[in-house]
Amino acid sequence: MAGERLVGRVIAYIILVTWTLVVGIPTYWLFITAFKRPEAINRGATYIPWVDFQPSLLAFYDVFVLQGLANSRPFVNSVVVALATATISTVIGGAGGYALARFPFRAGPFNNDRIAFGFLIQRMFPPAVLLIPFLILFRTLRLLDTREGLVLVYCAFSIPFVVWMMRDFFRSLPVEIEESALIDGCNRLGVLFRIAIPLSAPGFVTAFVLVMIGSWNEFLFALTFMFNKAVTLPLYLTLQTSIQAGTEYWNMAVIAIFSILPVAVAGLLLERYITRGLTFGAVK
Amino acid sequence: MQQNSTAKQAMADSHSKRPSQGIPDVIFKWILILPATIAVIALLIFPFMFTLAASFTDWHLFNLNAPINFIGFKMWASVLTSSYIHTTTWNTIFFVGLALPLEFLLGMTVALALNAATFGRTFFRVFFLMPLMFNPIAVVFLIGKLMLQEDIGPINDVLMGLGFPRIMWLSDPFMAKITIVLVDVWQHTAFMILMFLAGLQSLPQEPFEAAVVDGATAVQRFRFISLPLLGPVALTAVLIRGLDAFKVVDIIYSLTGGGPGQATESVTLTVFRTGVKGGDIAFGSAASYLLLILMAVFTALVLFATRKWVRVSY
Repeated sequence: MAGERLVGRVIAYIILVTWTLVVGIPTYWLFITAFKRPEAINRGATYIPWVDFQPSLLAFYDVFVLQGLANSRPFVNSVVVALATATISTVIGGAGGYALARFPFRAGPFNNDRIAFGFLIQRMFPPAVLLIPFLILFRTLRLLDTREGLVLVYCAFSIPFVVWMMRDFFRSLPVEIEESALIDGCNRLGVLFRIAIPLSAPGFVTAFVLVMIGSWNEFLFALTFMFNKAVTLPLYLTLQTSIQAGTEYWNMAVIAIFSILPVAVAGLLLERYITRGLTFGAVK
Repeated sequence: MQQNSTAKQAMADSHSKRPSQGIPDVIFKWILILPATIAVIALLIFPFMFTLAASFTDWHLFNLNAPINFIGFKMWASVLTSSYIHTTTWNTIFFVGLALPLEFLLGMTVALALNAATFGRTFFRVFFLMPLMFNPIAVVFLIGKLMLQEDIGPINDVLMGLGFPRIMWLSDPFMAKITIVLVDVWQHTAFMILMFLAGLQSLPQEPFEAAVVDGATAVQRFRFISLPLLGPVALTAVLIRGLDAFKVVDIIYSLTGGGPGQATESVTLTVFRTGVKGGDIAFGSAASYLLLILMAVFTALVLFATRKWVRVSY
């Protein structure tokens, strides 16, 4: 029994260390590439700083000082679009989720569960189907290459997700607290703002961060509708690597790191909260 | 559930008897849900219908003044017989067929190891989640363009040091398909780990204790207790990840652009090329609906294949 357990544990740690290397080595490689000088890249693979190449801040100087102005625009675009999308869809989706969790709805064949499922199913449809109608819409409303357009598309995708998630979250809160507040003479708005929203703060944070990560990382719609002014970081990274035929690896590595850093930090800090959101409440 | 909704009903009733307190519930609930409903109808459901209608026309953006005619299933016929579409459909199926099982098996293996670990669990869990936070283009850059670079990348460097021939990760049409899968596996195995770990941790302890008392080995406990109980989680994971994998486009666009030739082009990339860049609205619309049908068939097959041992409750 004890022997079996020990063997099992050894195997488990072999697997864990292997996967740590699979995830860790490319990440390590990205970071050291940002500190390499062109010679250290072009002459072949170099692995360890100070041992087989001399680290330098040249790429950071290039990206932040020499091309700082050009590089700052996609970064600002990504920040603005991600925050605006997350704010708008958390407010609209949160309201919808609260309504579905606390009030009975009936509209033809639709009850609360069916309406909620109707929101969830939107997430399964391929975005490819939406490319063409949005192209027509964007051309008509002159939204091409604007951040507003991008926020509109991303909200369309995020709102159903937030409705589903927040409904799940509100349902996990005891309804009794809200009832007693109503009996004590608090009105509906008061219950919503003084009780439901404060109690569900972790849910809102989760929804906000997940939507933020999603729109920060989105590529297809940015590629289709943004060309110049409103280019976001993932698109910028693609444009840069194809324009320069991917030869300036050191500069690209710096840009890639800064396209990862903000959302990775937010996501990993809130890891506990977002796990539930990512599993779609499939596991209670 | 039933009790709960009765409680909510009672709560609604008790309030509506006191009209002095602001907005009545009937109006309040619709105010709350209307913005989300309008957004979904206007920005998702209507566009879906629009695309369906467009797939039955001969609409082309570059024929500026030409009238748009409904031509029935003609565009569908030309999509279904186009060898271009055949290639990209098979590419998409190949991608899902290879990436999904790989991610499933790797994810389950790592999750089982994590569940058995005693120290460093939080570190491993958070570390393994990391790739999921990266944007796919950055993943393409660090896996496809740095690690697997054919001339100066470290993987070829190590392999050639060990005496293997240089592997043409991107310029060989078949290897390019594999490379796309590797990029996706590196990023999305994290999702499978997350799902299986959550599933494993929610399992009840009693059956395992009973099995240990009865002298079941670890393998038997996994085969006869964990695996059946993980069924619903596994099914959800396969459906979510599988449907997502069918939509693949970003990593392909930025790693190979669909090449060499059309060896890695997915259906979504075809829709982008023909419908958006090529202006062929009708063709692109029909092709995008083909993808939707493909995904529906996949869902039906998965649900059918697992009907005996998994019941989903959504």
